[in-house]
Amino acid sequence: MTFFAPFCIPFIIGTVSLFVTIIAKWVSWVYYMPRTDRKLLRRGLFSMQTVKGVGEVVCECLLHRRIFRINPLLGYMHMSLAFGWFLLIVVGWLETVAYLGLEPVPLQGHVFFRYFATGISEHKPVFDFVMDALLLFVLSGVALAWGKRFYSRAMGMRRTTKHFLGDRVALSALWFIFPARLVAESLTCALYGGGGFLTGTIGRWMASHVNIEILQMLYEPSWWFYSCALGVFFVAMPFSRYQHIFTEIPLIFLRRYRLLPHEKASSLDKFQIQACSRCGICLDPCQLQQDLGINDVQSVYFLRDRRYNRLKLAVANNCLMCGRCEAVCPVGINLNTLRQNSRDRLRNIPDESRYKYFKGLDRSSGEGRVGYFAGCMTLLTPRTLHSMEQIFKAVGEDVWWADRDGGVCCGRPLKLSGETDSAKKMMQFNKELFYKHNISILVTSCPICLRVFREEYALRGIEVLHHSEYIARLMREGRLKLNNDGGRVTYHDPCELGRGCGIYDAPREVLSAVGELLEPKHTRENSYCCGGSLANTVIGDAQQLRLAQTMSAEFEATGAGTVVTSCPLCKKSIARGTSMPVKDLSEIVAENIAS
Amino acid sequence: MERVIVIGGGVAGMKAALDLRRRGFEVTLLEKSRHLGGKVRKWHCLFPTFTSAAEVLGGLKAEVADSDIEVRLEAEVVSFDNRSVTLASGEKLACGAVVLATGFTLFDARVKEEYGYGIYDNVITSADLEEMFRNGRVALRNGERPRRVAFLHCVGSRDEKVCQRHCSKVCCVTGVKQAIEVKKLFPEADVFNFYMDIRMFGPGYEEMYREAQLSHNIHFVRGRISEASPTIDGRLQIKAEDTLTGRPLKMSVDMLVLLVGMRSNDDNVHLAEQAGVPLAPNGFFAPKDMFAGNVCSPRKGVFYAGAITAPKSIGEVLNEGSAVADAVTEYLS
Repeated sequence: MTFFAPFCIPFIIGTVSLFVTIIAKWVSWVYYMPRTDRKLLRRGLFSMQTVKGVGEVVCECLLHRRIFRINPLLGYMHMSLAFGWFLLIVVGWLETVAYLGLEPVPLQGHVFFRYFATGISEHKPVFDFVMDALLLFVLSGVALAWGKRFYSRAMGMRRTTKHFLGDRVALSALWFIFPARLVAESLTCALYGGGGFLTGTIGRWMASHVNIEILQMLYEPSWWFYSCALGVFFVAMPFSRYQHIFTEIPLIFLRRYRLLPHEKASSLDKFQIQACSRCGICLDPCQLQQDLGINDVQSVYFLRDRRYNRLKLAVANNCLMCGRCEAVCPVGINLNTLRQNSRDRLRNIPDESRYKYFKGLDRSSGEGRVGYFAGCMTLLTPRTLHSMEQIFKAVGEDVWWADRDGGVCCGRPLKLSGETDSAKKMMQFNKELFYKHNISILVTSCPICLRVFREEYALRGIEVLHHSEYIARLMREGRLKLNNDGGRVTYHDPCELGRGCGIYDAPREVLSAVGELLEPKHTRENSYCCGGSLANTVIGDAQQLRLAQTMSAEFEATGAGTVVTSCPLCKKSIARGTSMPVKDLSEIVAENIAS
Repeated sequence: MERVIVIGGGVAGMKAALDLRRRGFEVTLLEKSRHLGGKVRKWHCLFPTFTSAAEVLGGLKAEVADSDIEVRLEAEVVSFDNRSVTLASGEKLACGAVVLATGFTLFDARVKEEYGYGIYDNVITSADLEEMFRNGRVALRNGERPRRVAFLHCVGSRDEKVCQRHCSKVCCVTGVKQAIEVKKLFPEADVFNFYMDIRMFGPGYEEMYREAQLSHNIHFVRGRISEASPTIDGRLQIKAEDTLTGRPLKMSVDMLVLLVGMRSNDDNVHLAEQAGVPLAPNGFFAPKDMFAGNVCSPRKGVFYAGAITAPKSIGEVLNEGSAVADAVTEYLS
């Protein structure tokens, strides 16, 4: 039996092009990776993480478990295409083995087995059935994908990605592959018999209703069409969104080996950027889309622009970095880090002279085991600072005040805007200041500062606490007694504190002690951004206000008398979106200290 | 003659009621509080002539008292249209036309938390200072004389951060007036005005501004204060930028006066919706047009007088009281 026919050529070209491109990409990405990352990669390869990674690849790349969690129908669609196709390949291979034994068969022999197998007289109905069932499984996914174009809401998506031409070509090819296979196999069955419940049935129907000459005329072209669809798809794949199919696999392993994007862009990022399937799940959570109608800056578009070197600073900067999209990304891409290192690459202009005044600067006051860092925004919301003073006084804590009379910024705002090197200088300054004053606990009431202290400062011997955690600890230790006179309150989770640092429970614990807590509709991991995010340097005040108003409507709907948050920036943003009183957690605590 | 209801017993409402009555209408003047006079009751002297506010108000009040205008105090309006006004008590008053003269609300300086109003002693608003003038005792919280006083213009005006984009118009000249008054009380004190622009739009205002600099040695610094914080010795440290020299500055002062702006009343939204008339984006009522119809609403029988449509000076508000009487007369005849 020969396994070649002219119609196989498009398929063969496509396959070769696909594998050459993919391998070239992987090799070059690894080659240009930072040295430390390559070391991590070598160390990780022979660890348990590799075994665990295989399991994750099955769960995520084939079964798409995370998408199932977002919406079952959407999950089924992705699974039927990925897992169904995968099984078609595996079972197809088993089928050739079952018919021909373990003799070497070229790739196209497996893929177009029905075409080449017409000479074989015996039939294995089990394979006919299974292969038809799998084809039906994949076709159901294709049908859903078509349906999603017209009515995405059925899959829990209000918006879907706007695709560019290359993606549309690949998408069309993909959509044609399986219907083409169905037609080609059915025609083969019509002329040569065989086939299962699907192709066999359609084949018999064709044989009895369609002129045999027409069937013969369509036979070869149908296989040509199938092969072309495959060929076009494979050629387009590494240059389109479908690159994700082969990129997500190494990404899963790299993540397990702790190879994550850095504050500076590197070739490692490509594993993340090209793992984006442009599924568009990140679109709906985006408040810029929802409230402001901005529809070209979301993570899917940002990654696409970055991948094709078309990224503009205006797009990179137009993001709240609230992390709502990162939380739902089914591929688990570190969207915020990529966004930040893009900004670094596009605009980092360190200016040494700006920071000369750091030399010998120390405006701190007081002495104590506990240090308090207000941060710039708390200095602009002095009621919080004032309340913290009262709380420290009530528990008799000796406090070292890092910046009550002015200090140096924690560095995160600059880092978020891409000025990574300047931010480093500030971080270094503050770090030395903290060490110099021998504190063992550092309390801050600003989640922006908190996050950078925890993630970047690497403070040895100093425990960093958000004031909500510190107050909760004081309560647990019995040092701070509170009256439950705060009334009905609702709470806003600041992005940097909640999704950023994973602190959801401490503020709730404190609030439950001073009043009755009523949760707004979007809360905890799902909470909205107040709109005041420092990370977005593009939207204007009026737009920020609209974001605050959407959120405030939810607070008003709870029936609470006061909105409480634990971020000075959120407090300012919320206050202008609502007529309700807005307080920092420390204020409501200070008001309710039991004497 | 038909009844005309004037809602709001401030200067605009009183002037409108008087002029309407003079034209023979039966007039009912509704006032939410226990006193006629509105915001002017709390003012000491008026720019640019330092005329006593009590004098201006006293004249109007006496005229109202002498007339047979039906004055209803503690009468809060919940809704109205061109034929009737409904009070909080549930009472519904029928009428031929309504004049809305409910004025404005002073910006709550606590919203600009960075200035520390309500947190630090000796951060006060222009309204608080006026009350001190009226009480005849301007002093620091500890009773001492201030040695250095800073006025900050545009608190709650021209400030997108607090959703008040409009200019409140009269605070500039109020700041100059109050600075002169403070300087007269404490000639040895340094008095500073921090401003974005000085808008001296009225007769005699610019002259007063010049006089403040030439005769009273009041300092004007172009730049807004960014924040205020307490110092160890109980003073206030303010941070600002002098935008004319392009340098940041820090200064310790004894008293910080915030010149609070005029914002639209919170219940404008509800009232406008009930009456079927539009609001401007800044929350003030939008008149029919900015010219010949500036005291009329787009709805027949609903009229405006005073700061209900925009921040205005007292002189302008009084003029509108007369203008609205004219417009109502034309409508009802």
